[in-house]
Amino acid sequence: MKHAILGAALLAAYVGVPLLFGGTPYVMGLIVAALTIAGVALAWALLGNLGGMVSFGHAAFFGVGSYTSAVLSMKLGVPVFAALLLGGLGAAVASVAMLPALRLRGPYFALAILAYAHIFQILATEMTPITGGAGGLLSIPRFPTLFGLEFGGKTGGYVIILTIILLSAFVYDAVRRSAWGLALKAMHDTEIATRVIGVPSTHLKAAMLALSAFITGVVGAFNAHFISFLEPDYAFSSTWTVLPIAAAIFGGYRTVWGPVVGALAIYLLDQLVFKPILPHGHQMVLGVLLCAMILLSPGGLLPVLLRRRRSEGGRHAHA
Amino acid sequence: MIELTLQALFSGLLAGGYYATVAVGLALVFGAMRVINLAHGELVLLAAYIAYAAESRYGINPVMAIPIALVVVASASAIVYALLSRIEQDREINSLILTFGIGIIMTNGILTIWAADIHSTTNPWFQDSLVIADTLFAMNAEVAFFVGGLALMAGVYWWLNHSWQGRAVRALTSNRNAAMLMGVNPRQTEILSFMIAALLATFAGVAIYTGKTVFPSLGHVLTVKAFIITVLAGMGSIHGVLIGAIMIGVIESLTVTYLSASLQELAGMLLFLVVLFVSPSGLFGGRRALAR
Repeated sequence: MKHAILGAALLAAYVGVPLLFGGTPYVMGLIVAALTIAGVALAWALLGNLGGMVSFGHAAFFGVGSYTSAVLSMKLGVPVFAALLLGGLGAAVASVAMLPALRLRGPYFALAILAYAHIFQILATEMTPITGGAGGLLSIPRFPTLFGLEFGGKTGGYVIILTIILLSAFVYDAVRRSAWGLALKAMHDTEIATRVIGVPSTHLKAAMLALSAFITGVVGAFNAHFISFLEPDYAFSSTWTVLPIAAAIFGGYRTVWGPVVGALAIYLLDQLVFKPILPHGHQMVLGVLLCAMILLSPGGLLPVLLRRRRSEGGRHAHA
Repeated sequence: MIELTLQALFSGLLAGGYYATVAVGLALVFGAMRVINLAHGELVLLAAYIAYAAESRYGINPVMAIPIALVVVASASAIVYALLSRIEQDREINSLILTFGIGIIMTNGILTIWAADIHSTTNPWFQDSLVIADTLFAMNAEVAFFVGGLALMAGVYWWLNHSWQGRAVRALTSNRNAAMLMGVNPRQTEILSFMIAALLATFAGVAIYTGKTVFPSLGHVLTVKAFIITVLAGMGSIHGVLIGAIMIGVIESLTVTYLSASLQELAGMLLFLVVLFVSPSGLFGGRRALAR
């Protein structure tokens, strides 16, 4: 039964959506952009849920991933799909530079990582010979045509980002269910006790940071090849931090799918409803939403909805 | 060469003065409530825009606009406090996200009302130059607000050390439960620390409007800078904040003078990371660590 639902959902996502919206590039573009946010939101929530760390600097991983991939494919001729993975790797390497910040507790870590994001943005602007500086990179190679499937267009991009998100969610879930996931959960309750029984907590947190950075980097790299243009202010824009946080908090950052659902809801609302009303300050609505969620339902909407459905079914709500 | 260096040191010192007024407010609130107010820079920015609105619409001198700005900023600060005190679970993380959200609301509110343009005072007195000892140059506004800022911080320092309420703030900082047993009302003391932070933010905001330029995304930059200074200083040390702020100011102005203006932010960040790596409890914070 569960497999049948999963299969139907996959079929709908891979075949249904392209058939339905493939003819209208505008809608397809919106969905791809929403999924891009969803990918970062998923990675952000992974770090928050498993690692217990709040990051205000995911824009750094997004930017590093996009620049790594774009530069490798443009200057060294690396195939685009390989460059995509190398972009993720680049972001993971960048996260190694942030390891000293892991010595810091909650708020300090959150802000130290914000400082890192600024540093990377400045570096991208200043390293003109490699990154093109403030002028940016133009005509970054698009996705190629493989096995007769054209990945360069909107629908092709949709299939790629959907696959990235599904794979990331799969890895996230696998980590959560593993012994590591158990150790991380215990760390969330009491870190000192967990260290006493021999869990290498700093190593585990570093691994979660690197994994989160990798996913964000791949999503950033995808975006670079999809829109085929980069500049530092865009690639490291705080949008890549603000929207995913709002999405993850809105959907529920302690679940795997909450951030994805949240991103679709938030991004589409933002673009279709708030932007036409408030062309310049439309992010204000995200701020309001973020504050309202934290004050009224800090666990997010998805868990609340699921709990309601389950308790109607006479079963206990999951924790 | 020596003249250039002296000028850079002097400009850095003046910049450090207003960085310190921003950072002391952030540190006070953190001390009393264990919350980093990510909307603190936006409070400073709000004060700057109130001064701008008062000057451009009604021709009020920015200094005279301080009381008006203070009322607005103190009200905003009170709202931040009221919302923060409603958080019950996961206080540390949720309060960060909440104040982050408030910061987004304020930045975009300012953007909607006053647009993205860059503003500075139109009153020529503030921007007239002042020459000290024939070699050092500064704007009137910079010197006036540096001196005023020092006086204000001296006042806060005295208040923290000699008044009952000020000592209550410090008591909450060092041991919350013991302070409550000694009869400190935590809510009252927390509100008070938010109001002092609002006062410092107002002063800093008007200082920036008269001596530098303001634009909507500045609030975020100020919050980060204030946080960096607080970490450099180590928590709970006012003179540490002042020294940290001047260090950042001097390093930035030396970078602008000898390297490039675009590397200004980078220098401060790198200093911050080096300090984090070498001595995570800050330069003046003693052993009360921010790290584990």
